[in-house]
Amino acid sequence: MTTSSQTTTAPADLDAYWDAIDVELAAIPAAPESEASALHSTEHSTTYRVKLTSIGPYRIEIFLSIPDGPGPFPALLLTPSYGSVVTPPSYDDRMRYVAATIRYRGTRHADKPYAAAFPGLLTDGIEDPDRWKFRGIFADTLRAFEYLVGLPMVDPEHVAINGTDAGVIVAARRSGVSALSVNAPFFYRLADLYPIAEAYPFEEINDHLRAFPDSVHAINRTLAYFDPLHHAAWVTADTLVSVGDAGAPGGPEWMAPLIQALGGAVEQYAITHEGQTDYDAVDRWLAQQQGVDPRPRMWMPQDIGPWTANSR
Amino acid sequence: MLAALSRALSLEELVTIRGLARDHQTSVQRPADFDAFWEAIMSELADTPLEPTMAPVPHRSTEAVEVYEIGYTSLDGVRIGGWYCRPRESWATGPYPGLSIVPGYVSEPTLPKSWAKLGYAAIGVAPRGKLRSHQQFNPGYPGLLIHNIVDRNTYSYRGFYADAARAIDFLLAQPEVDPARIGVHGSSQGGALTFTTAALRSDVITCGAAGAPYLAGFMDCAALTHSYPYEEINEYLRLYPDREDAVRSTLEYFDCINFASNVACPMRIYVGLADDVVPPETGYNLLNVMPGEVEMIEYDRCGHDAGIYWEMPNVEVFLARHLEPALADAGLHAQQTQG
Repeated sequence: MTTSSQTTTAPADLDAYWDAIDVELAAIPAAPESEASALHSTEHSTTYRVKLTSIGPYRIEIFLSIPDGPGPFPALLLTPSYGSVVTPPSYDDRMRYVAATIRYRGTRHADKPYAAAFPGLLTDGIEDPDRWKFRGIFADTLRAFEYLVGLPMVDPEHVAINGTDAGVIVAARRSGVSALSVNAPFFYRLADLYPIAEAYPFEEINDHLRAFPDSVHAINRTLAYFDPLHHAAWVTADTLVSVGDAGAPGGPEWMAPLIQALGGAVEQYAITHEGQTDYDAVDRWLAQQQGVDPRPRMWMPQDIGPWTANSR
Repeated sequence: MLAALSRALSLEELVTIRGLARDHQTSVQRPADFDAFWEAIMSELADTPLEPTMAPVPHRSTEAVEVYEIGYTSLDGVRIGGWYCRPRESWATGPYPGLSIVPGYVSEPTLPKSWAKLGYAAIGVAPRGKLRSHQQFNPGYPGLLIHNIVDRNTYSYRGFYADAARAIDFLLAQPEVDPARIGVHGSSQGGALTFTTAALRSDVITCGAAGAPYLAGFMDCAALTHSYPYEEINEYLRLYPDREDAVRSTLEYFDCINFASNVACPMRIYVGLADDVVPPETGYNLLNVMPGEVEMIEYDRCGHDAGIYWEMPNVEVFLARHLEPALADAGLHAQQTQG
């Protein structure tokens, strides 16, 4: 297994490709439509469902949560993961940040007219970078970021992105990101990963190639536009990169090109695979960057009430 | 209290504040008509024609595994979708042990190709409300957990549990499946469905492996976490505090702790002692009422991952010991189970 050198090179028209997305976005008003959600609001924060228009035009939705109080508050954008369900930001993020999650095109509540299939989304249009669904999904993510940082209660000095490596492209394409946490590679070196992966969702690409074996070059060409490696130099945010096991995809050798390419100060976190240990480490780093208290995720009965365990 | 919790808790601190997970006393009570309630549902299900369909999916099939997109009819006539993966005869000869891989709360059913490569005839089921099974029932996510939560006769999990149990009928309808070797496995909601299926189909289930079993001690868990999905219950009760008794009454008919006493087959349970999504306490409440052989594994500092990084090989060995797939010793491995 080769884990130390990347095989993709930046397309010659990379900037033009992404500039065109920005031009499309700029030409489409976001037309925000915000509705408070009593169900998802707490004693600490108010959550809204906000509809926004992205390129297409396509109507997407974000969960936006705002802490109670005068603000300004640090902001946190959670980058989309691969799945049909998007939930509101976690309770503890809602306490500390103006936080947003994105129901991007194809996911539930943003599935009209396009309902993404899982599996299926990853290869929908993959042979053409102008037709790959992730072109629109990245535009949705950029649109959500623009809306988030434009809110008056957001502290513009403390804007963070957390989640998959999609955050690298957002931080490269937009100014104002102060902290970036990359927990899991998805688009980074995807052209290197799928040939050696049997697990879904990456296996979707191998499935596609079984049906269309001649499309490998077209697929790799598309993936190159979206490889965070080719965007990393434009990132100025302080960045935390979580790194997996040596010798494996996501390990130090695998991640080294991205880490070297990132333009901001980079720290590495060695994943322990103890889920809560790893969660707490990232949370602590983000909290420090954002000037808020870290939050462990083990809750005490006193925090929840009034219904308590063993209340009978 | 919230301000005081500004750093990660050590296991010792956690134990000091919440007590040992294994010592947790459940508030769940078993309704007197619990078994009758589910016998009526399963009787209705048995009277419903299965109407199985199988469509080959050549591009997702490999030299080792044939993949089919499948469908069957479940409770209330709802059509359920999913995936069926079986070894090619050239890869492993039948009959094959059957294995149902049951999904987590937000995830879509996986294609169990990696299990089929090990020698299982494996089904990845999409209970109602999941993509491929949401044309007739679609409460949305978040939302499934609280859909009709004050009425046990229309609560979302009434049909959802039945759909997972019915997947076993689909497996049994396949001539290449050995009916004496049927297993079930999943994590989080998949862990819950492992329990409910093992209880509702105790006549045929050989063994089950359940990670971070969700839907056990609903109200106890909601009182121990602000993480989704249980937070859905907290949100609901914040809006409708007067419905707490009705909610609790409904949920006792769907609580895995009440199913667990009907699970007689060998089971393996694994939990993360720092799981914020499914508090580990209720894993021990399951253990305490199970009449059969149980292996209970706990992983310190692991969260909802339930130690899967270390546990996955053990799950493979456990299932292979009871189900004897043809290629258990071939050095192959299943895709890591996610909740």
